[in-house]
Parts: sequence; structure tokens; C-alpha cells
Amino acid sequence: MLTPKQNMLEVIRGGNPDRFVNQYEAVYLMFHPFMFASPLLQPGQENIKNAWGVTNTFPKGVPGAFPVHTPDKIVVQDIENWRDYVHAPSLKFTQDQWDMVKAQYDAVDGDQAFKAAFVAPGLFEQTHHLCEITNALMYYITDEDEMHDLIKYLTEWELELAEGICSNLHPDALFHHDDWGGLDSTFMSPAMFDEFLLEPYKEIYGYYHGHGVELVIHHSDSYAATLVPSMIEMGIDVWQGCMATNNIPELIRKYGGKISFMGGIENRAVDFEGWTDENCESVVRRICKECGNKYFIPCIAQGGPGSVYPGVYMSLANAIDKLNEEQYGIKAEESTRLPWQVLF
Amino acid sequence: MELLEKLRQAIERGHPNEAERLACTALDSRIDPLFIVDDAMMPAMRSVGERYKNDEADILRILAAARSVRICFELIEKRRLPFAQKHIGTIILGTIEGDLHDVGKNLVAIMFRSAGFRVVDLGVDISEKKFLKAVAETPDVSIVCISSLLSTTLPEMEQTVKALRRNDPKKRYRIMVGGGAVTRQAAEQMGADAYTENCVEAAEVAKTFIV
Repeated sequence: MLTPKQNMLEVIRGGNPDRFVNQYEAVYLMFHPFMFASPLLQPGQENIKNAWGVTNTFPKGVPGAFPVHTPDKIVVQDIENWRDYVHAPSLKFTQDQWDMVKAQYDAVDGDQAFKAAFVAPGLFEQTHHLCEITNALMYYITDEDEMHDLIKYLTEWELELAEGICSNLHPDALFHHDDWGGLDSTFMSPAMFDEFLLEPYKEIYGYYHGHGVELVIHHSDSYAATLVPSMIEMGIDVWQGCMATNNIPELIRKYGGKISFMGGIENRAVDFEGWTDENCESVVRRICKECGNKYFIPCIAQGGPGSVYPGVYMSLANAIDKLNEEQYGIKAEESTRLPWQVLF
Repeated sequence: MELLEKLRQAIERGHPNEAERLACTALDSRIDPLFIVDDAMMPAMRSVGERYKNDEADILRILAAARSVRICFELIEKRRLPFAQKHIGTIILGTIEGDLHDVGKNLVAIMFRSAGFRVVDLGVDISEKKFLKAVAETPDVSIVCISSLLSTTLPEMEQTVKALRRNDPKKRYRIMVGGGAVTRQAAEQMGADAYTENCVEAAEVAKTFIV
């Protein structure tokens, strides 16, 4: 029986996986010192400025934190002079700070799961966190030069972060967030996406690949089927968050072997008040039947292990285990996987 | 008319500055604002909507076109020009209480306006009470449209749909729901009259309620 990590590699390489990969079982999300310098908000924390000056809020009863963009709280008040407003936070950390995180990396059994450095938000998300989403989208049309310059500035910062992560923590995977679309459309056309984001991401993901990172896993829980060729070119190995609206079976047929798809289980289909194990199992069975276990990993679409409603993520995990036993004769208790990581 | 054709193209391409300049020139040339709206602004939005429906346009392009149209409307209003657009119906629209997302709702509003509806946009984080108050204050309302991106707000959406239904025994208005958190099944369970996947479809379905 393959370890979860070996099985995931077989899935991605189109080899001989012995079962379905069970969501995030082979990807252990790890942090870095900047995340402690600019921490993610906890439920109930409201109107907290992060290290970039972006005000975030996380009211109780909502799935996650989000930026607040009342006029007074938009960081970039004038896109033509964005440099007056955007000041990249320092990435100078002491060796003790790196060592503390490295100890967490060392505690994870790397034979069972990839140790994935978690980086969020990505370039596109950061532009709309700083500018407000409608403004940012408009600036991509009306102020192209400024947006290119802003993205270059953000890219340089990400590359400095990448250098720190790779040289101090030596992850073998990257889990990088950047949402590029909504339910049934991308935010940008593929041509505009390439114009603004392809080269910067080639640089960032190329750096990680060149410094010990075997898998680049990119999270975008959205429609983005039209961007897949660009994803492949920028070095993404696994697109996590791939929603069913992308027609995943067709994506597998077209691009399997060049990229893999992790998702297919949209939160709206399983993660709601009154959720049931039966519904979770039915969604798991349907998506696994449609997509098979090559170049596809059944997973909740959200960008990290967990669910909005407690219990949903593990219900999906149990359903996949059940399917693995039925279909492949592999019992969950025989698996060597790490204890489940549930972050959300 | 060449000028209006250029304006239509500027809107379709999503260039608000160019659209504003051309609309300004059109008004300076004493072209009736109604022609500007009917022959350039609305056809441009319909065309962008069609392209979105056919997967030929993205969210950014619709937003940019919408902003261009809004700027043209503001220009017409700023000049205090007599202008009476005919509406095929009135829609009350808002994002449900507990949810502050407005991009999707704004796109839907634009497509409703382009389809000829008057839109009363209540904004985001709108409670059941506010929807009921808006309905009471809008005697000609034909449709109430509720949006949600967060699955945690579906109970509020359901409660609001039911309250609106109770409030309207004569079926004066229809109720539409949508947004990233909503599925067709959930919409049916809560008793909405319609659920649509995207803003273009929303406008098309809304029109069927009027005819």
C-alpha cells in the first residue's frame, strides 16, 4: 500500500495510484514567520490592519476574514501614486524566528505528506485587497502601467519571501492562494491574465521549483478552466479549488499529465446548515465516478483543510475512505497517513 | 450615427474615460439623451451580456462596461437634461444580511438595468425587515432579488424569502435568488420563484416574469 504522499505522486504522474487521495491527507500546510508578523484573523476579530495596511474583519458566523473597503480604509487612494500608499512589510526575521518554524516542519513526517509552505494572498488578490476589487479591476484596464508596476513590486516581495522560505524551511511543496474567478467566469480574460500575471508567476513558481519544491499547488476556488494553459506554463502542478463548474472530466482529458485537479466538491454543495453525511457521501461518489483517480484529487474546494460547518470536512473524508475500501479494497485503518489537519 | 457607434464600442471595450469623452461630445452636439441611452449605452451592455453568456467576456469586462455606462448616466444627470427612460418593471435588489459582498449583485443590477428595468439597489447586509420596508415603499415592484455569497447566510435568505412570500398573498412580485452560495435545490427549498447561475441569465429570467 502506498503512503498518502506516494499515492498523490502516482495520481499526478498518471502512474498507478492504489486509491483516491483523500483531500488534503498528503499536503500538510506549514507556516512561515511572516504569518506570525501579520496573523490571520480569528472569528470575532474586526477591523484589524495587517502588515500591508489592509483592514480585515472576521465577524462571527461568516466563513472567513475579508478586507474592509469603506472609502477611508482603501489603502491605495490614488493609483497613479500608489507608491505613496503601498509599503511592503519587512521580511527580515531573526534566525530564532525561522528556527521556531523549522522545528514545526521537522515534526512532520515527510514520507507521509508534502510539507507545503502556505502563502496567501497572491498577486491578484493583493492588488484588490489594496485597491478594492472594483477599483482594482478597472485599473487593469485604465491604468495598465501602474498595475504592471504594482504587480512587479508585489512580485519582488514574494520572491524575497520565497527565498527566506526555501533557504530556511526547505519545503517540498508550496500551497499558494490567488483566486482568479467567480462561480462561472474568470475575473480577467486569458489574454489580460497572461499580460499581467503569467510572467510574474513564472518567476515566483520557477523560483520555488528551482529551490527544492517538487509540487506547486495553486488555490483558486473558482471557474478558471480558460486559464489552465497559463497555469501549466507558470509551473502549477496541482490546481486546488477547481470547482465542478469547470467541467473537470473534460479538463482531465485535455490537460491530464500536465496539471492535476484537486477539488470538485464545492462548499455550496455540502457545507451548509443542516448538512448531512448522506449528502456528503452522495457528492463524493458522484465526483469520484465522474473524474476517476488519475490527475484528480477529490477535495473540498476551500483553500485549506476544514469546512465552514464543523464536521463536513471529516464527513467527506469518511466518504472517500469508504469508497476507497469498496473500490480498491484499502481500509482507512491500514493507512499510514498523518493525523488529520483541520485548520478551518 | 458614427458618434453613437463609437460610444457603443467604447462601452463594450470597457473604457470609461473614452466613453465619457464621447458622451460629452454627443451631448454637446445636442443629440437627445434618449438616443444616447437607447442607441449606444443599452445595446453595448446587451452585447457585453451576450458575450458573457457565450463565455467570450469575463467579469472585468462586464464591470468596465458597467462603469462606463454609469459615468454616461452621471454625465446626463449632471447636465440636468430632460430624460425619461421607459422601464419594463421595477426590481428591488440586495445582498442578504450578514454578507457584505457586492460585486455579483452589482453585475446583476447592471444587467437588469440594461434589460430595461428600474433597479432599487438596497446595497449589502440587508435584513428581512429592510427588504419588507423596501417592498412597502415601492408599490410598482415586480421582482425582489436577493444575493448571497456566504453559505452561512442561507438561513437568513430563506427566512427573508418566506417573509416576503407571507407579505404578498396576491403575488404582486416574484422572488429571485442567486450568488455563489446558492444552488438551484436550495432556491427551490426556500420557495424562491427563480434561481439563476449568472447575471445575464438573471436578466433573461426577470424579463419572462414581466411579459
